[in-house]
Amino acid sequence: MMRKTTLGVTALGAVLALGLSACGGGGSATPSQSGAAPAGGDTAKAEFNAALTQVFNPSDKKGGILKFANAGDWDSLDPADTYYGYSWNFVRLYGRALVMFKPAPGKESSQLVPDLAENLGTPSDDAKTWTYKLRAGVKFEDGTPITSKDVKYGVLRSLDKEVFPDGYTYFNDTLDLPKDYKGPYKSKGVNTDKAIETPDDQTIVFHLKQAYSGFDYFAQLPATIPVPEAKDTGAKYREHVISSGPYKFDKNEIGKGFNLVRNDQWDQATDPNRKALPDGYEVSTNVNADDIDNRLLSGDLHVDIAGTGAQPATLGRVLTDPALKANTDNPTITRLWYTSINGNVKPLDNIDCRKAVEYAADKVAYQTAYGGEFSGGQIATSLLPPGIPGHADINPYPSGTDNHGDIAKAKEALTACGQPNGFETNIAYRAERPKEKATAEALQQSLSKVGIKLTLKPFPQADYYALYAGKPGYAKDNKLGLATNGWGADWPDGYGFLQQMVDSRVIRDSGGSSNISVRDPEVDKLIDQASLETDTAKREPIWAQIDQKVMDDAFILPGLWAKSLLIRGKGVTNVYFSDATGMYDYLNMGLQ
Amino acid sequence: MVTYIIRRLIWGVFMLAIVSVITFAIFFLVPRLAGATSESLATRYVGRTASAEQVKIAAEKLGFNDPLIVQYGRFAKGIVAGADYDYGPGVERCPAPCFGYSFLTRLPVWPDLLNRLPVTISLALGAAVIWLVAGVATGVVSALRRGSFFDRAAMSIALAGVSLPIFFTGIVSLVVFSYGRPLAFAAPGGSFTPFFDNPAMWAYSLILPWITLAFLYAAGYARLTRSGMLETMNEDYIRTARAKGLTERVVVFKHGLRGALTPILTIFGLDLGLLMGGAVLTESTFSLPGIGKYAIDAITNQDLPKVMGVTLVAAFFVVMANLVVDLLYAVVDPRVRLT
Amino acid sequence: MTAPLDVSGTELEAEPEAVLGGSQAKAIQGRSLGQIAWMRLKRDKVALAGGGVVIFLILVAVFAPLIVGWLGHPPNDFNQDLISSETLAPKDGTGIGWDHLFGVEPVNGRDIFSRIVYGARISLLIAFLATLLSVAIGTMLGVMAGYFGGWVDSVISKTMDVFLAFPLLVFAIALAGIVPDSAFGLSGDALRVSLLVFIIGFFNWPYIGRIMRGQTLSLREREFVDAARSLGARGPYIIFREMLPNLVAPILVYSTLLIPTNILFEAALSFLGVGVRPPTPTWGGMLSDAVRFYTIPHFMFFPGMAIFITVLAFNLLGDGLRDALDPRAR
Repeated sequence: MMRKTTLGVTALGAVLALGLSACGGGGSATPSQSGAAPAGGDTAKAEFNAALTQVFNPSDKKGGILKFANAGDWDSLDPADTYYGYSWNFVRLYGRALVMFKPAPGKESSQLVPDLAENLGTPSDDAKTWTYKLRAGVKFEDGTPITSKDVKYGVLRSLDKEVFPDGYTYFNDTLDLPKDYKGPYKSKGVNTDKAIETPDDQTIVFHLKQAYSGFDYFAQLPATIPVPEAKDTGAKYREHVISSGPYKFDKNEIGKGFNLVRNDQWDQATDPNRKALPDGYEVSTNVNADDIDNRLLSGDLHVDIAGTGAQPATLGRVLTDPALKANTDNPTITRLWYTSINGNVKPLDNIDCRKAVEYAADKVAYQTAYGGEFSGGQIATSLLPPGIPGHADINPYPSGTDNHGDIAKAKEALTACGQPNGFETNIAYRAERPKEKATAEALQQSLSKVGIKLTLKPFPQADYYALYAGKPGYAKDNKLGLATNGWGADWPDGYGFLQQMVDSRVIRDSGGSSNISVRDPEVDKLIDQASLETDTAKREPIWAQIDQKVMDDAFILPGLWAKSLLIRGKGVTNVYFSDATGMYDYLNMGLQ
Repeated sequence: MVTYIIRRLIWGVFMLAIVSVITFAIFFLVPRLAGATSESLATRYVGRTASAEQVKIAAEKLGFNDPLIVQYGRFAKGIVAGADYDYGPGVERCPAPCFGYSFLTRLPVWPDLLNRLPVTISLALGAAVIWLVAGVATGVVSALRRGSFFDRAAMSIALAGVSLPIFFTGIVSLVVFSYGRPLAFAAPGGSFTPFFDNPAMWAYSLILPWITLAFLYAAGYARLTRSGMLETMNEDYIRTARAKGLTERVVVFKHGLRGALTPILTIFGLDLGLLMGGAVLTESTFSLPGIGKYAIDAITNQDLPKVMGVTLVAAFFVVMANLVVDLLYAVVDPRVRLT
Repeated sequence: MTAPLDVSGTELEAEPEAVLGGSQAKAIQGRSLGQIAWMRLKRDKVALAGGGVVIFLILVAVFAPLIVGWLGHPPNDFNQDLISSETLAPKDGTGIGWDHLFGVEPVNGRDIFSRIVYGARISLLIAFLATLLSVAIGTMLGVMAGYFGGWVDSVISKTMDVFLAFPLLVFAIALAGIVPDSAFGLSGDALRVSLLVFIIGFFNWPYIGRIMRGQTLSLREREFVDAARSLGARGPYIIFREMLPNLVAPILVYSTLLIPTNILFEAALSFLGVGVRPPTPTWGGMLSDAVRFYTIPHFMFFPGMAIFITVLAFNLLGDGLRDALDPRAR
């Protein structure tokens, strides 16, 4: 359960790193230096990490057009079909889900607050039934009042995975749907009240197959954004989503960009969360990534929407110039960059050989490969990132005093494994990701010091999980002992973070799972135990226990807890980092 | 003449058919031979945590369960006769030529291609004008002043021009003249403004790619023109023309250049045809959203309908360029008869 | 198909006439061609310089391990201590010095000098072998088409048309991307090199093929061939004993001119990430890494210049050879 990471915004090789196409957005491509207000520091003192735990440059001033740019492109603008983190962040400008993460800096952002609903969900029937009351007076952009039927329709259509293949399956998996229900297009007229009831226009009731205490997390998913059935155009809805939020689509050219303008049907009185400051948004997609950085620094652009931070070429420029550095933030996000150690490949079936890999890896080289201390991340000693509840500081395989690897311990482990002179195996990585290539090269170097000889095996990104590293048969036959990997949580929660990464039951023979190495029935058992545990205080320690167990098994070589170097756009108000989204919160930004 | 054109057009269609079959084989057949199943192929086109069921649905929807010949037939039929597409609440008619729907975005490929075409055409035509003018002019002057300093300097630069990889010159020019550098006079990579939106911005956004691309070609054309000129100026008819008492200017431009230009015309047509089908390296280097960039992105994402579409469009331009060149040739060179 | 189509992008001079106007008396006789050519070449200082650089590059490639052992560091060894862990750049900006002649790469601090030296191996090896392949296929089919004419010519010419209609780079990328890791009993660098040789060589043969077809067409009408035929010689004999010796000169010239094209092709594929697998150094691959760090110019400069100098040297040599072997084009 994870948003596709968009870090690999590449097409082939480095060309892609350079970035992609674009409609530069007319005048915005001119090297004008005057776009920003003269002084960014008038209302707030620009400091490194100033927007990490508090609102930087707070203001209620309205007006202006916020300019966003994306080095890649949305998977889809349709709320039923989007699974990118920045998209979930941004969708709230044109759509209102039942619930949302609190628009507040830092840790506070992990709290859920009602949005379209008046309150958070009311559980009944042992958390198998969840009821939400909608706010009165909320309207679509065409003036039609929003009812609970529109919310229900939005959720139901998102279940059609033929039309919306990109999205998540949380609702497909948990709602008590009629057998073989395929969404409102194919299963027209099928009564779905068993799953979602709408007793009146303001009330919506969800019925689950199993008790689930965290349903409010589902209620914040974009799929609960209301969709008017009469205006639904299925796969083409992404071209013009009917807005329920403060902004609506004006012009939308998929592949190039789009504009949002104010939605005059949106009423501030119905919305305690949104400030709706700018008069509109101008978004360009497929823009050269280095260009985005340069335009951010010159003030020609306000936000790099992907939220993954500065490009390597920009690092030197920003970090060595105190004035530029003062306009950046360097948060740790809930993502782990790691390397899977495949126990199906000899001699890594022997736990001591796996441990040798854990000890020998040069973590500093791993860090530089991913972008260094600021843009790469913090050296990880276990799976759970510090931002996830349940994180415990453990370090089962200390990699020497200076994190360059512990040769002596690694050799001991090799001897215990019966391979005192080392062994040969392969490391898989995604060819289009220069950082993974650098990681593979770094591991090849550091493991060679204890005699473990790695051969690099790049695979096309599109097929990495489906056909190669993630396909158990292929990985075994081709001796892919190691595989670079990465994982981030949909929201800061142990289940979302760990389940897809370590549950062996997600591994399929046909390939495609993110977990490609952890096979431990005890871990599976612990996951089941945790997901049934409704008491948070009892649940969180189980995540730590799973973390410890997987580390003891040495199925995963943790690399880094990711960090990103975010550049604050010039003249942008209300900038703050939100833990929930792992990037700046796009909801309430404005212009000076 | 007309029968010739018709025959050539039929041959052209046949060639496109061969190209499409081979493309199809590379992208659809080879993975199967390597052991991919319908489901593992479908995994590419669904979210990363898709359930087994989701994958099954996608495989069915994308038609992977049909025999390959049926899949190809469907593609070919779409181009000739159009196709129906179920977009959820209803069925949409995708009129011919229907290149199908992207496996990833589920949006039709053809409008996408049409959308990209102006970028590539702007790039190719703009660069072509520059290199033709610069290359031929340099070549003529070099030939007339053979051995002079200009000749030697121009030919050295030309030789350097053909020896530089475009992805190197492209990046260097971007770094030096863009990215907000002091010398910046051009748009950074990745910006494109359509001509009809704003001609000035259009030129501004393309000036660097034009120059970089034209440099590469101008070099070749200068060398070509020079040697062509040298050769024609030695021909008997030039001597005759001179003997008739024509001015040197008339001899050079009316008789000499005409003879030298014929082979250049051929090569120009073919080069332009190839470029129209996507200047892959230039577009990648400058992040221009043209056909070539589209091709690379499509391959990276294994978005097969896009790959098929872009290959056919590229091949179409080459075939058409060949035809046009042959026809023009008959006009320019009276010795050629079309049969 | 009409005659003009036989003019292709790589044959620069003289060709159209050879096809169109039939025979033109060659100024030089076959026997003394080699000696005369060598005399001419000796006088062409620029071409000789190109040849000198080519020989130097070949020596560098062959003795790469020795050179690196003497002047540099192993090409894949990290020098992490020279790299800032914040900006990823070399701590002193470039790392250039006696220890690292061309400086070090950002991120991992690998020695650029030794990677350039080793890169010459891959670049030259692939370019030579690919040229050999396209010349072999092109000559064989081109001569057959030109000599036999009729349906043989028709089939071969149309095949060449189809090849030329393909967006080559797109196909090369696709093929290089989907071929598995070990196949045909090969794996690792050996497989990748063979694959790239195949792709580059196989897609380039029509260019040589067209030239050879044109040359054969004009040779076919020459007296000595007629003489051989009237003496009862058969096709294969005429092709191998009468035609091929006369084709040696154009083959040599166009091979020399095809090598730089192939070097650029290989560099482009490596640049696009489908070349030889890392960490084996290639110039195109180094450039593609360098693009991400365009703020560190020395990283981009050395591989770029390496490609430039190599291609230029081959072009100079090829030009000189052509001038020497074909007196009409000067």
